[in-house]
Formats: sequence, structure tokens, C-alpha cells
Amino acid sequence: MTHFGSTVRAIRERLRRDDRRYSVRQVAARVGIEPAYLSKIERGEVAPPSEATTVRIARELGEDPDIMLALAGKVSADLQAIIRRRPRLFADLIRQLKEAPDEAVLRVVREVRDGEW
Amino acid sequence: MIILENNTLKFRFPEVHEKASCSIAFQRTLRIPDDGRDYPLPPGLGTFPLRHVDDYASRLPDAWHARGGVLAPMYQAEAMWINFSSDYPFAVKVATGKICAITGDPWVDHLNREPQDYVVLPDQPWLDGYCIEKGVIRQFVAMPLGMDYTAEEQMTGKAIHGGLQLVAYPMKAKSYEKMMAERSMVFRSASYSAACASAGYSVLGLTPMGLAPGGRMKQQIYDDPKGLDAWDQRHGSRCFVSLVNTVQWMAITGERPPTEPPTARDYATRGLPWFDYYGADAKAVDGSEKLRGLKSIAKKAEQTGQGPLPENETFAVPHVVTLGDRRLVRECAGELR
Repeated sequence: MTHFGSTVRAIRERLRRDDRRYSVRQVAARVGIEPAYLSKIERGEVAPPSEATTVRIARELGEDPDIMLALAGKVSADLQAIIRRRPRLFADLIRQLKEAPDEAVLRVVREVRDGEW
Repeated sequence: MIILENNTLKFRFPEVHEKASCSIAFQRTLRIPDDGRDYPLPPGLGTFPLRHVDDYASRLPDAWHARGGVLAPMYQAEAMWINFSSDYPFAVKVATGKICAITGDPWVDHLNREPQDYVVLPDQPWLDGYCIEKGVIRQFVAMPLGMDYTAEEQMTGKAIHGGLQLVAYPMKAKSYEKMMAERSMVFRSASYSAACASAGYSVLGLTPMGLAPGGRMKQQIYDDPKGLDAWDQRHGSRCFVSLVNTVQWMAITGERPPTEPPTARDYATRGLPWFDYYGADAKAVDGSEKLRGLKSIAKKAEQTGQGPLPENETFAVPHVVTLGDRRLVRECAGELR
């Protein structure tokens, strides 16, 4: 069982305890895949699905798509495009920040500025 | 600090606790009839786009740039609800035109308990409007500032601020750790994871939008069971959300706004779901007498001889889905395509 598959199953089963709409069949229908395929994903019998399907599963389960993509061993296409546009700059930046604490990483992201009101 | 990601405001306080983060987004929705009846919760139809005000400073009045924050487009008489998402507890104040949406009091940055002027996350998943009675709100509906419809104008007699204002305070790390320890004891085996011209708007031909009270809706604003001392008021982040109409949005950003939402009647005719939410045993706050005294848009329009709002006819809601605290998806954008 992959970490991705086991995580999907754990989250779905937790939701199903309170809401029967989180059965394999109903979740698969809402995500747009076959129930058998979702079962195989959960059991790790197949590789994690495509980016689009992973994002739909994440949204259906109320999880962060970036985190679920990371669990599936993927980086979203929009992030890849950002890196490809300025590969040296972003490769340097990511390497320099890899050991930094969250606070330090957040200091380099763009804040929504608060002003006078 | 706040960052803007996928049209969502992400509040993060790593200096308080590594898990102290929450997301706030503004959902497009149906305008419910303003006919005196209590309607269930309408669906989300996708998020309003948000942009940094700083990116369009040269096309905005200086006063808008000075207050910072973000910019969003709304059609006149379009409705919105606020979507909160968090695992970590937060106290969030929401105001429109600097009038508190829970108490009707003028804006202050700090939290107040008597009466409670904030919502508590994650207990409160959404806020759809002004808290006018226990278990009833009046829907947030966009109207141009300067026409006397907005809560701000009705309360203060002035049209200065418009838009929407937020401040979020995380729970103190100590209170959070204590709460989690207590929870793990209990659930050890469970797996829980007019003044417009003077403000400089007319110089650039901008008519700012504000929010006004629309139709009545069943929604509870939950009481804070933790008390003021749980919140870390030394670490708050504020955001001013400036609202412009969709024509101005295009002129400022060069982007097309979202298409107009369907009418509530059209949506209901197609049998698509409306929602109810039950927050387990949570207690609701009483509504604000000040907010209850506001005139709804339809009432105002009637009094000023402007006639009723378009698409405001009463209809029967055909299909209500009850949501609990484990299922919070209230969006139906995909089902309308």
C-alpha cells in the first residue's frame, strides 16, 4: 500500500463514519473514476492517479491538493511551469530554503499588505 | 501574515504555532429573495477573484492604495458568503464598511465578548450575512456606496469605507496544546485529524461597492465556548477587501469578471441543492438589535420608490441537503455547467 493510497483510504473512511456519501462507490462517482480503480488506488495496487484526478480526490475529501500531490510523488503543473520559466532562480531559492524553518520561508513570500483604515 | 493563493486569503502565524493557519475565501452565490421568509443556505458557485491592491496602485485612488489589502469584483445586487477553513482555532472579526457583521458596532481591531463580535473557527464554517436574530442572518448583497443601502450608510449616515474588513487571531499556543491534550484523553482511540467624492473616488471615476442586508437566511453564529483569554491578540492579521463593480474591475485589472450568477429561482427550478448545517451541540449567539433595525435592500427600494429588486419573487426551495461538521462542501458550480 502506498502512502498516498493509505492516506486517501484513511481520510475517506473517517468521513464515511459520519456520512454514507463517502463510500468508495459514491466518492468515485463524484471524482469521475470507476469504484474499482479507487479501490486499487487505496490499496496501492496501482500507481497514484494523474494530477487532475489527484486534485479532484483531494478536493472531494477536503484536503490540500498540493499536499496530496506531494504524497502521490507529483508536483503540480503550475508549479512546474513557474520553475521552468526561471529555473536557475527557483532552483537556487528552493535549495537555500530547504532547511529553513517555516517562519524563514514565509518571510520570502509575498504578503497581502495591511495599510491605514 | 496573510498571503494570497488561488483567490484565497491564507492567514499563517508560525510564530504562534506551526499549525496556526486558516483560509478565508469569498464565495459567489445566489441572491435569496428578500421577501421576509427564512431561506436555507444557498450553494457556493466558485470564489470571487482577488488581486493585490498594490498591483493596480496607479489605477486606484490614493485612499484605496493606502489601506492595502485586496480587490474583488461584484455585480450590483450580487450576493456572497465567506468560507472559513481551518483545523487550528481562530477568532475572526468580519465587518462591512467597518460595521461589525455580528454586533453592528463600529470597527475596533480587538475582540469583544459582551456581546461577542467575532466568529470562532473551525466551529463556524461560513458566514453569509449580518446576524440579526438568533439563528437568522440577512444575506450580504453588494450595492453601490452612496445610495444609502449599505449597512455602513444606514448605521453611520456616511459612505466612507465600503468593502469588507477582516482580522484573524489564532488561539494561544498554550491553550491549543491544552485543548489537544484534553481531546486526546477523550478520543484516545479515535482518528481526528456620500462621502465618496471627498474620499477621492470620483477623481478616477470609481464608485466603490459596499455590502447591504438582503434576504433572511437560517444560519447560526456560534458562541465562543473558549473565552477571550484563549486568543492570542498580540498576533492578529488584518485585511481590507475593496469591492468594485465588474465594469471597473475590467478597467482596473484588464481581466474579465466571472459571469453573472444564475437567479435563485432558476437554480431551484433545476432541482439543485440548498443546504442546512447543524453544528452538533454548539450554542448560537443572539442576533444584534442594531443589525435587526437595518432595512433590507427590498424595503429600502420600496421606500424610495425604486421598485422591488429584480428576480426577487418568492419560491419554494425544492431540495435541502443537511450538512454536519464532517461534510462541509457547499459548492455546486460544476452542477450548473
